[in-house]
Amino acid sequence: MNDFPINENKKPSKEHGTIASYVAGFVLSLIYTLIPYYLVVNHQFSTSALITTIISFGIAQMIIQVVFFLHLGRGPKPFYNVVFFFATVGLIVVVVGGSMFIMDNLHYNMTPAEASKQLAEKEAIYQVEGKLTGACQKLLANHVVTISGGKVTPLHTNAQLCDTLTFINQDNRISDIAFGPHPRHDAYAGETELTVKKGKNKTITLNQAGIYQYHDHLDPTIAGDFIVAK
Amino acid sequence: MVDEQAPTHHQAEADDRALFGFWIYLMTDLLMFSVLFAVYAVLHGNTDGGKTGKDLFSLNLALTETLILLTSSFTCGIGMIAARAGRKNQVLTWFGLTFILGLIFLGLELNEFSNLIREGHTIQSNAFLSSFFTLVGTHGLHITSGLLWMAVTLIYIAKRGLNSNMVRKLAMLSLFWHFLDIVWIFIFTIVYLRAFA
Repeated sequence: MNDFPINENKKPSKEHGTIASYVAGFVLSLIYTLIPYYLVVNHQFSTSALITTIISFGIAQMIIQVVFFLHLGRGPKPFYNVVFFFATVGLIVVVVGGSMFIMDNLHYNMTPAEASKQLAEKEAIYQVEGKLTGACQKLLANHVVTISGGKVTPLHTNAQLCDTLTFINQDNRISDIAFGPHPRHDAYAGETELTVKKGKNKTITLNQAGIYQYHDHLDPTIAGDFIVAK
Repeated sequence: MVDEQAPTHHQAEADDRALFGFWIYLMTDLLMFSVLFAVYAVLHGNTDGGKTGKDLFSLNLALTETLILLTSSFTCGIGMIAARAGRKNQVLTWFGLTFILGLIFLGLELNEFSNLIREGHTIQSNAFLSSFFTLVGTHGLHITSGLLWMAVTLIYIAKRGLNSNMVRKLAMLSLFWHFLDIVWIFIFTIVYLRAFA
């Protein structure tokens, strides 16, 4: 079958990989592609957990392909290419991680009006040089919404500006509160999504007057509304 | 560890050096992609009130592209085994298959781009689309040059046969192709899957 002999007397070396190693790499890659796809299509977790999961699967698949397709570390003697590979990965971590860290920080400190209001709320700054930030000077009454058995109680909450609203999750699952009617996600007071783990609670300050709806992003039948009067 | 085959010893060393040089190029290329990824990660929310990735992308199309590129990476690997064994016809078959799969991938990507542009979502629309077209387009350009390289190499092999020089060139080409598949996994994850998360 050989059209010409290359190193005929040299036994096939492992460093270039065998059909078995390519098949293994191919099958593993398929699995590591389809699992995150399935997770995203069925929206298994909350958004932040999902992003962490799919990126982990991406990194795992990269390692699989580096080992089974690129055969890194199975080359000749001193592993200069391995050293170079890890040096590059280190640089990438610095460049990508550093950029995201810096830009996130920048975003945190130079934000649109609504987000800076949320920030002012968090840090209890109700005025800056005599200018009101929209944050509440004093928090008034607290209202509680309990999620249990796939329902919210009470369905409707009436509140005054600068009251607080607490979501308590008594169900055995995570709850992702989004504002607006399903499937829309609006922001309320700078919050776009409120993740309440099972058995935990989250509180927001009602510093925006009006009528607002909310729903559980993972189960839109869990929904309610609140009215904030001036 | 020590290669006892005197006649092939020099050739093997030269091959290793050439492949290492190519490896360094791949790593610097990877650095360039990582910068484009960082840009996309920072800007993907800046849609200037326009549509987000969730409204613009098709997850099924992205999955199809991923599976096609993954399969082409596999056929490329099998072709490389045939090349090292000196089987010319098998090399032409497997790399030919890789070439066709790469061409289909490129066609799907260009189709996606032209659909977006026809609907008015161009590279100039907003920062999100600028970074999207730059990142995915750069990968597409790499695929295009890989396909050209593959076509030239295959024509050469078909006409003049397989020799150890050509095997080394095929080894570099397959490294390049596997590398592009790895970059695409991150595009699939960070651009497409993340948009629907």
